[in-house]
Amino acid sequence: MAINFPFKRTLTFSIIGLVGFSLSGCVSGTESDSVTSPADGVGISNGATVTVYTGRHYGIEPIFERFTTETGIEVRFTTGNDPELRERLIAEGANTPADVIMTGDAANIELAADAGILATVDSDILMQTIPAELRGASDNWFALSQRARVVIASKERVANPPTTYAAVGNSEWKGKLCLRPSTHPYTQSLVASLIIAEGEERATAIVQSWVDNDPLYINSDTDIYKAIAAGECDVAIANTYYLGRLLTEDPEFPVGIVWPEQDSRGAHVNVSTAAVTANAPNPEGALALIEWLATDGQQQFADANFEYPVDPNLEPSQIVSGFGEFTADLVAVRQLGANQPAAVRVLSFTRYE
Amino acid sequence: MSTAITLADSDGGEFGAARPARVIVQKARSWSVTALVSVVAIALSVPLIVIAWSVIEPSTEVWQELWATRLPGMIGETALLLFLVLVGTLVLGTALAWLITAYQFPGRRVLGWLLVTPLAIPGYVLGFVWIDTLAGPLGAREVRSIWLCALVLTITLYPYVYLFARAAFREQSQRAVDAARSLGCSNKKAFWRIVLPMARPSLAAGVALVGMEVLTDIGTVRLFNVSTIADGVLRVWFGTGNRDAAAELAVLLIGVAILLIFIERLARGRARFTQSGARTGLRTQNLSGSRSAVATALGWGAFTIFAALPIFRLVTWAVEAQSTNQTSTVSGDFGFHLMSSLQVTLIAALACLGLGLLLAVAPNRQRASGSWLPRLATLGYAVPGPVVAIGALVTLAAIDRLGWLPEGWLLVGSFLGLIYALVVRFLAVAYHGVDASIAKVSPSIVASARVLGAGRYRAAARVELPLAGAGVIAASALVAIDIFKELPITLILRPFGLETLPVWVWQATSESLWVQAAVPSLAIVSIGMVLVAALLWSLERGATVAS
Repeated sequence: MAINFPFKRTLTFSIIGLVGFSLSGCVSGTESDSVTSPADGVGISNGATVTVYTGRHYGIEPIFERFTTETGIEVRFTTGNDPELRERLIAEGANTPADVIMTGDAANIELAADAGILATVDSDILMQTIPAELRGASDNWFALSQRARVVIASKERVANPPTTYAAVGNSEWKGKLCLRPSTHPYTQSLVASLIIAEGEERATAIVQSWVDNDPLYINSDTDIYKAIAAGECDVAIANTYYLGRLLTEDPEFPVGIVWPEQDSRGAHVNVSTAAVTANAPNPEGALALIEWLATDGQQQFADANFEYPVDPNLEPSQIVSGFGEFTADLVAVRQLGANQPAAVRVLSFTRYE
Repeated sequence: MSTAITLADSDGGEFGAARPARVIVQKARSWSVTALVSVVAIALSVPLIVIAWSVIEPSTEVWQELWATRLPGMIGETALLLFLVLVGTLVLGTALAWLITAYQFPGRRVLGWLLVTPLAIPGYVLGFVWIDTLAGPLGAREVRSIWLCALVLTITLYPYVYLFARAAFREQSQRAVDAARSLGCSNKKAFWRIVLPMARPSLAAGVALVGMEVLTDIGTVRLFNVSTIADGVLRVWFGTGNRDAAAELAVLLIGVAILLIFIERLARGRARFTQSGARTGLRTQNLSGSRSAVATALGWGAFTIFAALPIFRLVTWAVEAQSTNQTSTVSGDFGFHLMSSLQVTLIAALACLGLGLLLAVAPNRQRASGSWLPRLATLGYAVPGPVVAIGALVTLAAIDRLGWLPEGWLLVGSFLGLIYALVVRFLAVAYHGVDASIAKVSPSIVASARVLGAGRYRAAARVELPLAGAGVIAASALVAIDIFKELPITLILRPFGLETLPVWVWQATSESLWVQAAVPSLAIVSIGMVLVAALLWSLERGATVAS
């Protein structure tokens, strides 16, 4: 009896906890919070501090510091992986201390939007600065920079590199191809963009042709660039900003960028994003930060990581401008999240590592 | 004590003849302890129950798809990796422990300490060092193989077996070996027939820990493109956002782990090897001439390849990072990261040790609850870190929602919440170490103490724990090292303003900035070596006190 009593109590307690969790999960999911630009005087519990969960952490601190200097608003942030930060936000629900969530790719912010943890924002500044394709469908997230995922090739050994993603599967690149494993969101988003543009069947055939080329899978874009430089492979698919970093160290780095799909939809771009959370304790501060990142902080935010600004009126940094002009596949950006499960399916069926 | 020792015989049956008269008090106390243990066990298993809940409604579609695509490969690679690493660590750990314990050769004492250092190097750090080093001679493609992955895991994990084996050899008495020798056994035969079988429970405990580490590893296997079940859990979860299907895969992983624990119990067998009286330790044999040279070369060669070369590589990177000013951190300086790490490790390790002791000493082994409660409480070790983290997150958030805590207090993102999740994940390390050591204390010694009037807990505190002392200290050091290098749970649940050294490593490696990761990696290894030193010092001291 004495054995059973605390056991039962704890079990009941945990069941109450579980039920409580799922109930309140429903509640926060149906809330349609809305944030408007002029502060409407809602009590700000954290004074003038904005709390940020950020999946993008490379070079982020100096940017936040400048924001604080210019606006007087303090930024408190924690870093992590996109999906885990999203899970944390979902679990916390109404209790979350986070005002802003920032991610390194579009699919993860879309999944957060689906989970009902993002607030719809009404901001003239953001509407004017950020093109419609680079915002959430209901203005619940905003891209802050663009990251192009392109074909890269050895400048020394490759005369005619592939100019489409499909051509990477040509048999001439058999044993000479490097790719990032399918565990990484960059790979998943790229395949999602293929599905959006060409349909699942055709996308499967393209991915299959890559796999048939017996690629060397390397779970790091930087190391993929280095593998080409070292002669381990000739052709690969990677993000451009890593080349920006490598060129800073070695201006003669022997790997070049090929802009793919320039005669059709344009090169695949993903975005780093920010959103106001549905239960933000300080929604005004959150919006102030995002608006600043899209305007005054925009150049620094994009340049810090050699990315492309979302504001079409701004030029990328000098090194990045050196990569040349290109057409980007902006249409796909909003649909990347919805197509990610299909992308994972395609990657599984083709035995892409 | 001396009376107890003379009363003791080496094979103690349950000493049940003399029950104290205060049986009612004892019973009530025993109930309240069982209640306490139940609460602890259940509180620690809630995060896993939350995750396992999904099994009630299986995601049939996802499973069919997985079965048709990646699942068979995942199971195959997990099984192969597990087999390779278990055999590798068992052979390597036992052999090196025996070399250090049984033979006298130049540098033996220092080497005994140094051979544990690979434990202080996180697998993913050792992995990227080896990939970078071997990519040149072997080729980038060849270097990413399950064989090299198994080798790297064997190197980082063999110290578990080594430590347990050394403790076991140290706790053994020369008397048994002498007896065997007097009955005509050669030294070699005595090792196989006496020393090794008596060390079996400890070896099994060490190997079981290795098995759990392999099953739940994500950082290292991903470096080598090895697709295990743990990797699959995150693949499904983060790739498709399907938490239920991912959770079901995690339950499969728990199933494999339970199988492993079952095999461990089988390996321990029904045998219960206890020591009779004072542990004099085994006599070391002086080696001379060429044999001494061989032993020296073996020991130092192992250390050089397993630890010295990778550490040298990290040092060169750290120097490069210093000279190119790439030592910046996301927030706070070096000292800040160090203090965060130490703070978390100290508190979480103490919590693990305290609860581990409770679980090992308190449950009445004659009752079913005595055996299944600790198993329930320590299941977290069979679950990958990120899964434990999300389970704990959901649990803590549910409590926060109840609003029982004072206004403004939240468990999610609190120091307490982080410690709770770490205990869920790592209690097994402390518990297994403590339990294996206590199991070796002869029940007849304990019974003697009881006959002389000591209560159950007094007997535990005055007799069992001191006799198991070395093992208890070893267990706490092990759990501290594990927590010190832990990443996924800390990453998800850490409070604002707490950034540990592994988080710093992650900041750099997630952007492939290996050079920048060198400084915090070296710091992890250095502090880990200090913990290892403390551990071995205590072990030796424990042995001296016992004799």
